[in-house]
Amino acid sequence: MARIVAALEASRGDSDAPARYCQVTTDIVGVSGAGVMLMSGDVPHGSLCTTNSVSELIEELQYTLGEGPCVDAYKTDEFVSEPDLANPARPRWLAFSPRAVEAGARSVFGFPLREGAARLGALNLYQDRPGHLTDDQHADALVMADVIARWVLDAQAASPPDTLAPGLETGAEFHFVVHNAAGMLAVQLGISVTEALIRLRAHAFGENRLVQDVSEDIVARRLRVS
Amino acid sequence: MESSQNEGIIRSFVEMADNLVDDFDVVDLLTTLAHRCVDLLGVSAAGVMIASPPEELRLMASSSDVMKVAELFELQSDEGPCLDAYRTGAAVQQENLRAETDHWPRFSAVALEAGFASVLALPLRLRTTTIGALSLFHVEETPIKESEIVVAQALADLATISLLQHGVASEAKIVNEQLTHALASRVVIEQAKGVISERAGIDPAEAFSRLRGYARSHSLRLVEVAQAAIDGTLEPKAWAAPPDVQS
Repeated sequence: MARIVAALEASRGDSDAPARYCQVTTDIVGVSGAGVMLMSGDVPHGSLCTTNSVSELIEELQYTLGEGPCVDAYKTDEFVSEPDLANPARPRWLAFSPRAVEAGARSVFGFPLREGAARLGALNLYQDRPGHLTDDQHADALVMADVIARWVLDAQAASPPDTLAPGLETGAEFHFVVHNAAGMLAVQLGISVTEALIRLRAHAFGENRLVQDVSEDIVARRLRVS
Repeated sequence: MESSQNEGIIRSFVEMADNLVDDFDVVDLLTTLAHRCVDLLGVSAAGVMIASPPEELRLMASSSDVMKVAELFELQSDEGPCLDAYRTGAAVQQENLRAETDHWPRFSAVALEAGFASVLALPLRLRTTTIGALSLFHVEETPIKESEIVVAQALADLATISLLQHGVASEAKIVNEQLTHALASRVVIEQAKGVISERAGIDPAEAFSRLRGYARSHSLRLVEVAQAAIDGTLEPKAWAAPPDVQS
C-alpha cells in the first residue's frame, strides 16, 4: 500500500490523472500494460486510459466487438483471467483473442471496477508472455482498481449535475466520433441512430476494422456505408 | 380540484410508478418529479436533493437550468429548507422569504435575488428513512394549498420508494448514475452533431456551434435541442447557416 501511495505521489503532475493511474498500475503490478474500460448497462462507453498501443488496441477491440476480459469482468462482477491467450484452455472471445495475440498480448486479466454497489467498468492488464498473475500482483491490482474507481467517482462528484467531469472529458476516450458517424449515417440511410450504430459495428466487423477507425472515415467523408 | 388537474395527477402517478420496475434512470426519474411538480402545482421551480453520506445533500435534478436557480439549489447543501426537511423528516414551508431573516440568511438572500418569494420543502421519506428532499419555489407569496401538498408528497413518496428499491441511496451509486447520465447526454449531443452535419452539409464542429446558438437564443437546454435534432422534430432554421451580422 505504501509503495502505491509513493508511486502515485511521485507521478503527480506528470500527465492527466487517468493516464497517471494506468501507468502507476502497470509499474506497481509489474505487467506489460494496463487499460481501464468504463461501462454501464451492458455497454462499453470507452476507455479511461491506456498505457501503450497494445493496451489501447485491447480496449478498442472490446469496444468494437463487445467481448473480452474487461467486458466479462464487468458483467460477471468477478476477476477474469486468461493466462494463455494464444492457446486457451477454454476457447472464448473468438473475435477478440487472435487480434490481441497478434498485437503482442499473451495473457490478459480483468478486474471489476467498483465502489460498493456502484459498478463502473473494469481494469484490464496484459502481459507479453503467458502466465498467471502472482498473489502479490493480484493483490496490488485489486488495490489499484479501488483507487481508480474512487478517482472516477470523486472527479464526477465534483462536477455539476449532467456535466461530464473535465478530467474524464479530456483524459478519457469515449469514442464520440462513433456517435458523430452514427448521426451522419442515420440521415444518409434514413434510419434511426440506434440502427446506424448497429450498422457501423457490423461494417467494422465485416471489414475487420475498429469501429473508431470506420467512424473517422465516415466523418471525414472518406467512406460511405450502406 | 379541476378534473384536468386530476388527470394530470393520475398520469404523473402512473409515470412515477412505472419507474418501480427495472431499467430506470435516477436523474430522469427525479427530473420528471421536478417537472411534474411545476406543471401540476403551478410552482415556479422545483429541485430534488439526495443525501449522500456523510449527511451531504447533493442536487440531483431540477426543473430549471438557469444559473441562479441551480445555484440556489446547490446552496441548500449547507443551509435552507431542503436541509431542514431532510433532517427533521417533515415538511418545511416559508410563505414569505422577505420576512425570513435569521433562519436561513444566505439562502433567503439568494432566493429573493433569484425572484422567489416563497418556498416549500418536502422530505423524501419512507417510514423512518429520509433520503433527501424536494424543494418547491414560487415567485409569489402564495402558500401552497394543503391538497396540493398532499399530491406533491405522494409523488415524492413514489420517487423515494423507487430510489430505495433500486438501491440508489448510496453515494457511490448516486455519483455513478450521474456519470452515466452525463455521458448519455453527451452522447445525444454528439449524435446530433452527426445528424446536423449531414443535413446541413457541414462538419460536426460547425453543427455543434449552430445547435448551441439555437439553444441559447431560444433558452433551451442543449441536450433537448440535440434530442429534437435526432428525433427529427427540430425546425430547420435551427441548423440553417447563421445570417451575416455586423459585429
